[in-house]
Amino acid sequence: MQGEPAHAASVLFGLPPLLVATTLFVVTYLVIMSDRLNRAIVALLGAGALILVGVLDQHEAMRAVDWNTLGLLLGMMLIVNVTRRSGLFQYVAIWSAKKVGADPWGILLMMSIVTAVFSAFLDNVTTVLLTVPVTMLITEELEVKPYPFLFAQIFASNIGGTATLIGDPPNIMIGSAAHLTFNDFGVNLAPIIVVIMAATMVPLYFLWGRRLSASPECRKRVMNFHEGEAITDPRLLRQSLAVIALVIAGFMLQRQIGIEPATIAIFGAAVLLLLDNLGKDSETQSKNVHGALSEAEWITLMFFLGLFVLVYGIQKAGLIDMMAQGLLGATGGDYKVTTLAILWASAVLSAFVDNIPFVATMLPLIKSMGPALGGDQALLPLWWALSLGACLGGNGTLIGASANLVVAGLAERAGTSFRFLEYLKVAFPLMLVSIVLSHVYVWLRYL
Amino acid sequence: MTSPVIFNRNFPSLKATETVADAVRRMLDDRVSDLPVVDAAGGRLVGMFRLDRLYATLLPKAVLIGYGVPDLAFVSDTLGQLREKMREIEHLPVRDFVVRPRDVVAPDTPPLEIVLLLHQGINNIPVVDPADGKLVGMVSARDLLNALCGEGG
Repeated sequence: MQGEPAHAASVLFGLPPLLVATTLFVVTYLVIMSDRLNRAIVALLGAGALILVGVLDQHEAMRAVDWNTLGLLLGMMLIVNVTRRSGLFQYVAIWSAKKVGADPWGILLMMSIVTAVFSAFLDNVTTVLLTVPVTMLITEELEVKPYPFLFAQIFASNIGGTATLIGDPPNIMIGSAAHLTFNDFGVNLAPIIVVIMAATMVPLYFLWGRRLSASPECRKRVMNFHEGEAITDPRLLRQSLAVIALVIAGFMLQRQIGIEPATIAIFGAAVLLLLDNLGKDSETQSKNVHGALSEAEWITLMFFLGLFVLVYGIQKAGLIDMMAQGLLGATGGDYKVTTLAILWASAVLSAFVDNIPFVATMLPLIKSMGPALGGDQALLPLWWALSLGACLGGNGTLIGASANLVVAGLAERAGTSFRFLEYLKVAFPLMLVSIVLSHVYVWLRYL
Repeated sequence: MTSPVIFNRNFPSLKATETVADAVRRMLDDRVSDLPVVDAAGGRLVGMFRLDRLYATLLPKAVLIGYGVPDLAFVSDTLGQLREKMREIEHLPVRDFVVRPRDVVAPDTPPLEIVLLLHQGINNIPVVDPADGKLVGMVSARDLLNALCGEGG
């Protein structure tokens, strides 16, 4: 064995690393797609196996993990976990329902806008977990079917989440990998997101909205809600809003202050935890902090961790370069065709498979096309295409994004059924509309 | 080896076909909040009819999900509206409301285990004969107090 390159020699049974890494990668992704095992378990097993068979060593695996993505996700999760105890989300939902006089279509629009805006700044799953139960409470009081409202909220959460760096995990990953800031996302994606949001509501009006009606007595019941009572902790609310404002200001000034998003988010979380626990006894402090930490979505975080290692494994083994060459070959190396191909392929794939592993794979793939397409600057439209495709594609089916499944789960627990095909019939065409609009936008603005 | 029993052999129960109105009357008359439901034929335990389950039907479904709506202080439904809801379910059979008992004990369950269950807040525990699944008694926090300090000891 002496004299041979250390890594080549260390792969189990002397098998070619490309074959071993590809096999492990494909098997892991297939098991993730089968949904039989918790995805965090599968990703960590796959990543661990890559190290055990010698494709990577632990140091390389640690370096492969994008800690900026994980830190940003964790920081925002902690901020939300503290903030939600204040009752802010219920307050805003009820306030917006009353603003439109408890008219059902008005409520559908308002709840969609509230969901889109919250999703732009918070994780989509958290947003729907906090807003959908309030919607169901309101529709129950109005005696109208909750399905159209929940459907609209699924779309709103995925569309709204696409608008900012922190709105959806794929954007966090893209931002981190391509060094794109909060402002870059806002300037490049927010305009088209507003258009897509508006365009999505039109078919929903003709499909459901125009037939929604509630009796005056039912509407009065909602108008009698005292939204002020929903604020359970006014002091915590003020603290949370102040910290969220500072964190977002930090993201906006990222270039000027030269601090990465993970630091901003985690520091914000630490400040909020400090404010929330100042002057409390040690038992209350540990209960509060334990609550905020344990309710972070560790499954998602560990899933990311495993995926970063897995993708680095195939990257090191050379598979990513081969795939990039293949994609460039298929599109003739044409930069416009490649961009639009990424948009459409991401959308259709993300409708059926989890967009996180897909985006994790696409990051090094797009990066490795940089030299062929003319450097980092030339890659910008590709990143926007990937973000729009991967985030909006998730609307296409009930399994396309975690938020969809969470809404369906909440609805079923409250007795409203959400069927795969019933959802698909309306959602898939509507998702395609959003991709057509993205196509036109990317084409006009960047190509 | 016969120790004095803690449980009550003379307890109110419901048949699965009786209505919610029957159950409520029995609860008010006997001052209990949980009633065991038995099948008409064999006296086997079907489950429990509990007040908390009944109250759940008065609540908006969205609250029962357990997320997002932690309190209802902002809703101003009146007692009259709740009475109306109650009237809508009074004629339904208790079968529709039966829940699994949180715990079941046997006639020979040691007293300390019963103390532990009651300490954990599980009251009105059915006593089931493991041989045939028949309900033979109920044990409540009051029954234990009586066994500990009352004239039975």
